Amino acid sequence: MSKRPTVAEHLARQGVSRRAFLKFCAATASMMALPPGMAPAIAEALGQRRRPAVIWLSFQECTGCTESLTRSHSPTIESLIFDVISLDYHHTLQAAAGDAAEHHRERVQEEFAGEYLLIVDGSIPIADGGVYSTIAGMTNLQMLEESAKGAAAIVAVGSCAAFGGIPKANPNPTGAVSVADIIKDKPIINVSGCPPIPVVITGVLAHYLTFGTIPELDKLGRPTAFYGETIHDRCYRRPFYDQGKFAKSFDDAGARNGWCLYELGCKGPTTYNACATTKWNEGTSWPVESGHGCLGCSEPDFWDAGSFYKAVSMPISDLGKLGLAAAAAGAVAGVAVGLHNRHVKAGAKAAHKPLTADELEGDKS
Amino acid sequence: MTDMELLNWARGPALEWATIIFVVGVLVRFLEMSLLGRKPDLSEARASAAGGGWRTVWRRSIPAPGLVKQAPVVIYAGYAFHIGLLIALLFFAPHILLFKDVFGLSWPALPFFVVDAATVIAIVALLVLLVHRLVNPVRRFLSSWVDYLVWAVTFLPLLTGYLAYHRMILPYTEMLAYHMLSVALLLVVFPFTKLMHTFTIFVSRWYNGAVSGRKGVQL
Amino acid sequence: MSQLSDIPVTVTVLQAGADAAPHGRALLMELENQLRDLVEQGRESSIDLRSLPLSPGDLAFLEQHLGKGEVTAEVSALGPSTVQETAIHGVWWVRHYNSNDEVMAEFLEVTQCPDIIRAHPADVRDSLEDLRARLVELE
Repeated sequence: MSKRPTVAEHLARQGVSRRAFLKFCAATASMMALPPGMAPAIAEALGQRRRPAVIWLSFQECTGCTESLTRSHSPTIESLIFDVISLDYHHTLQAAAGDAAEHHRERVQEEFAGEYLLIVDGSIPIADGGVYSTIAGMTNLQMLEESAKGAAAIVAVGSCAAFGGIPKANPNPTGAVSVADIIKDKPIINVSGCPPIPVVITGVLAHYLTFGTIPELDKLGRPTAFYGETIHDRCYRRPFYDQGKFAKSFDDAGARNGWCLYELGCKGPTTYNACATTKWNEGTSWPVESGHGCLGCSEPDFWDAGSFYKAVSMPISDLGKLGLAAAAAGAVAGVAVGLHNRHVKAGAKAAHKPLTADELEGDKS
Repeated sequence: MTDMELLNWARGPALEWATIIFVVGVLVRFLEMSLLGRKPDLSEARASAAGGGWRTVWRRSIPAPGLVKQAPVVIYAGYAFHIGLLIALLFFAPHILLFKDVFGLSWPALPFFVVDAATVIAIVALLVLLVHRLVNPVRRFLSSWVDYLVWAVTFLPLLTGYLAYHRMILPYTEMLAYHMLSVALLLVVFPFTKLMHTFTIFVSRWYNGAVSGRKGVQL
Repeated sequence: MSQLSDIPVTVTVLQAGADAAPHGRALLMELENQLRDLVEQGRESSIDLRSLPLSPGDLAFLEQHLGKGEVTAEVSALGPSTVQETAIHGVWWVRHYNSNDEVMAEFLEVTQCPDIIRAHPADVRDSLEDLRARLVELE
């Protein structure tokens, strides 16, 4: 089992020709956001790499990330990657196996200690001893710490695993935290998004699989190949922002003509993701293309960033109402200060004693 | 703290507190001034007080020729800064959205390149004014730390706004957060410094003009 | 899995003048550069259309201005691939589909002949063995 075949061997066994393998590599390069000329390098790297064991842990999550991943696979390029990695544990997919799946996870952790790739989706609740989410009698925290020990690297899939996500949204009743909040001694790749783009998940896995290295990461631990630029800067509606042409409501003439959705609350300017280029649903479209602003789902705390329909330049809270309340308080305080001043003034007037020149003279002598 | 957490904090609690301090502070100072009371003027008015007031409001907006000769830097850079600031503040599309959100009022924006140029003019003018203040010994002597504070809290929103728009130095999210925080700082400092002139300038001009106007003196 | 074409929604791509294809011209100029390199230095290159933030009108613009050439080929390898030479000789529009007929990758390749068409030497060697084995079987 520990002598798993290389990717090329595995594909050859399935009767895949070199031409097909080349196509696979070209698509992989495209998926990894690498230049097309990288395909031969990928072919060479894949020829030498052995199928790594993968353990997938799902914690406080909605299964949207797994959904996103499976959406684009069977039996596509992504499924090939799943043929060529060995997905040894995925409790959502293996729930029916019960105990057996748990024992298999333990066995894989032992046998491939220091080699396996750990994928996590969902945040980890740590309030009240972590009781808010348990699997097979273990809290998520225990399971993560146990499985992380022997992992070569960890991929945090989705905004929950990467940043805490929606479970962490104010007031965060379960004390949800991200993987990186707990595990400090392992390389962690954050693949954020709610859910992340399917090809971004597979692209990151492909990179690790192909080169056996962690891709270049930004300061939030996200691969710069996919999260290097903002939605806004890569948006095809961007030229209209620069021209000051804004859609004023959904589906108005401006929106249909591709004008910028900034005023409708688009969070593109502060959101780093690859939607504008990879798009969704087989490259069909993406939120901004279908007329809705970006929600900023690949950024930390996107759920607490105020209304989705308020522009990023607008305050999160209702400052108008707050200002009125403050004005009332200010008026009361101002009148009080004014009255106090009058009182001081009246006191000074009452205490005022007129002096004559003689009295002054008298003082001098 | 991530950039996004910082931005959320700036767009949320920071601006909330700044707004409260700003509104309460400005109102207290206004009411304090107006409730001090004025002595009733029992003399017969020689001319309209209001007319004198409005005339002065207008006349003082045009620099006296002698003054231009005496302090050209202050006059030119001062006007350039104020006009640049007003254009950047009131006619930048994202700012108009903010005013619409807070006051429910909106108006057409100017093209970005106009706002951009206005911002550059305001920034340069402020720098010129600072150098002017530092180079001249008399001006330097007359300046207190509050003057430099006021300069800084006015300069920072312009600078951070410009850098954020052009995606310079820091990532946009972080720079935008600093921009909003610098505005919050401006709002906090505002009521307790000479920045109050934004609201009092025309009131005091009118008052001066009205006092003289009533006596038949045309300023 | 149901395909996009199964969903009864008609998509109309708006053609709002030059605005609809903001990157079209830039892409044509890039192709001009790459084609010049092919002519002068024999250097092959390609553009990954999936890596660019193209608007809905950009692809239509490219199709319209590159046109259809003499060669159309279909490859069956891990799902179909279509290779279409454009009316500009040496510029090929290559689409790789998976076995669900979903586009996996899309390139404009600037070359005499796209690699996907060529038989791989190792495959040819293997096939030589294969053919010999078949001959043995016939005897």
